[in-house]
Amino acid sequence: MTHTLDARLHLLDRQMLDANGAPVGTVDDLELEGEVGEPIGAGAPPPRVTGLMSGHVLATRILGGAPPASRFQVIPWRLVASLGIVVKLKPTDMVFESQWVEHWLRDHVIKHVPGWRSGGRRDAPQ
Amino acid sequence: MKKIFAVALGILTAIGGFLDIGDLVTNAVVGSRFGLGLAWAVVVGVVGICVFAQMSGRVAAVSGRATFEIIRERLGPRTAGANLTASFLINLMTVTAEIGGIALALQLATDVGPKMWIPVAAFAVWIVIWRVGFSKMENVTGLLGLSLIVFAVSVFLLHPQWSDLAGQALSPEIPGSESAANYWYYAIALFGAAMTPYEVFFFSSGAVEEGWTVKDLGTSRLNVLVGFPLGGLLSVAIAACAAIVLLPNQIDVTSLSQVVMPVAVAGGKLALAIVIVGVVAATFGAALETTLSSGYTLAQFLGWTWGKFRRPDEAARFHVVMFVVLVACAAVLYTGVDPILVTEYSVVFSAIALPLTYLPILIVANDREYMGDNVNGTWANALGSVYLVIILAASLAAIPLMIVTGAGQ
Amino acid sequence: MHLSELLSLPVVDHDHERVGSVIDVRLTVSGDPAHDPGAPRLAGLLVSPRTTSSYLGYERSDSRRPRPLAALLAWRHRGTFLAAWADIARLGPEEVVLRPGYHRHPARLTTSATSGAARPR
Repeated sequence: MTHTLDARLHLLDRQMLDANGAPVGTVDDLELEGEVGEPIGAGAPPPRVTGLMSGHVLATRILGGAPPASRFQVIPWRLVASLGIVVKLKPTDMVFESQWVEHWLRDHVIKHVPGWRSGGRRDAPQ
Repeated sequence: MKKIFAVALGILTAIGGFLDIGDLVTNAVVGSRFGLGLAWAVVVGVVGICVFAQMSGRVAAVSGRATFEIIRERLGPRTAGANLTASFLINLMTVTAEIGGIALALQLATDVGPKMWIPVAAFAVWIVIWRVGFSKMENVTGLLGLSLIVFAVSVFLLHPQWSDLAGQALSPEIPGSESAANYWYYAIALFGAAMTPYEVFFFSSGAVEEGWTVKDLGTSRLNVLVGFPLGGLLSVAIAACAAIVLLPNQIDVTSLSQVVMPVAVAGGKLALAIVIVGVVAATFGAALETTLSSGYTLAQFLGWTWGKFRRPDEAARFHVVMFVVLVACAAVLYTGVDPILVTEYSVVFSAIALPLTYLPILIVANDREYMGDNVNGTWANALGSVYLVIILAASLAAIPLMIVTGAGQ
Repeated sequence: MHLSELLSLPVVDHDHERVGSVIDVRLTVSGDPAHDPGAPRLAGLLVSPRTTSSYLGYERSDSRRPRPLAALLAWRHRGTFLAAWADIARLGPEEVVLRPGYHRHPARLTTSATSGAARPR
């Protein structure tokens, strides 16, 4: 059974959640097989989406242009667990770029303030 | 008792939305200059915020997504970025004003200068956001903010000419001493105050904080239908008090003391004490709401973890941003800026942010991908579309009117 | 290649006559999108003769509400069609070239893969 979806309408700018339901970034671009500009032979199979791309690229998404490839992190498609109004990922050891700042602030700032351990609900929405 | 607390989110949103320091003063100013001739603007605004808060509450309950996340997903980062900039600036200005407002209210209570209270107020807001659970926060602030009902009580205690008041409200006239431009400027200011964007961001994020699901659609509706009309009623009561006491004596509202004067006249020291509690609670609630909104909108736009339902160490960036906002705003207050003047200028950014905020809500509330069978009914769509036109008109007229009238002089 | 390199590209036919712009890329996913979807394949490009983007997708869906907005946007994006993969001769870098005799498939999305009020859990 095949389902149809449109990349910009249904995938781009969507939130990605890791296996624990925590946000790990947004889908900022998609990586596909093949190269632009290559002529396509008759009967060639359509290219597949190989990964989701996420990165600190808000400025170019807003102002236009394309940032250098190194600013993106590519999340291979095999890590995608489900597609819906959010994209859920499978458990993985991969460290997401977007979490670097979060972890740095957590370790160097938040943990030094009393009370950082308290709060939160057991049945918190994911 | 529990039922009362179930509507705490709606009450807090409304209090922080249109009973914050700027609106307390604006309502009194309007009452002292126009009587109840602008009560209709409050009614129009309250109906509008009910329609859209109801939609965004439903969207949050059904989809689990807060409004700003959806704006980014459906409208793309460019539009969302414009909205974020405007909203963030409104929030910053309002946080500044509210902390100043808390200080002014405490000055009213203690006769100690406001500058001393600024760091106390900022710290108090921060510690509540850091340590106090969302439910407890909204319940306590909401309940204490209800002390503002003393304004409504005062209207009765002042034995007004009811026919006069009704006449002013139902067949409004622009008084000879005022220009039409001023009248319409204040109409838009009151409308904008009722529909300030951070109210929906806070309400929908609050819905996610509380973990509302499809089962809670009734609670969401109750919150909206109790909280916002109550806020509107109190707005009109403040204007009525000013209309009864200040207008006939040509007293200008220049500070918080004139705002509460009618209550003191009506009920003496006890009423004054109650109203001061209400003002402190309302400005404190508004400070909480706008500080949290700054955190919510930035985090939701950038896809960070957010929420008081998470432990602080699981939402580090969210908490750091709010701390920085509080420090920056408190610092600005030390330069001696008048907090009430600050809110008057935030009307400009509100005007820009209004259509950018409400259009996406209307769109998403119709989107079956997010809402399944809970999409908007015909009435919600009809009202929503009508209000979008009103919002657009208000948005376009706000800045020219502000310039022409010098912000209502 | 990246999705961003394809969006908003001008689309020309075999004679290099301008046909429109790429406003979206249609993908097909095998299996259930909610449970371990396979890697999507490019089914075609959505081409709009008049506009270079469409955030809201009203021209492709059956949703007709809110009525004034849906009508306005559907009218703005009228003429949007789907160019199937088989009709694409070259993808970029400056433009998309379609093969002679390309077919304009309807842009309508009849089943949305992500429909239903799925809560992020």
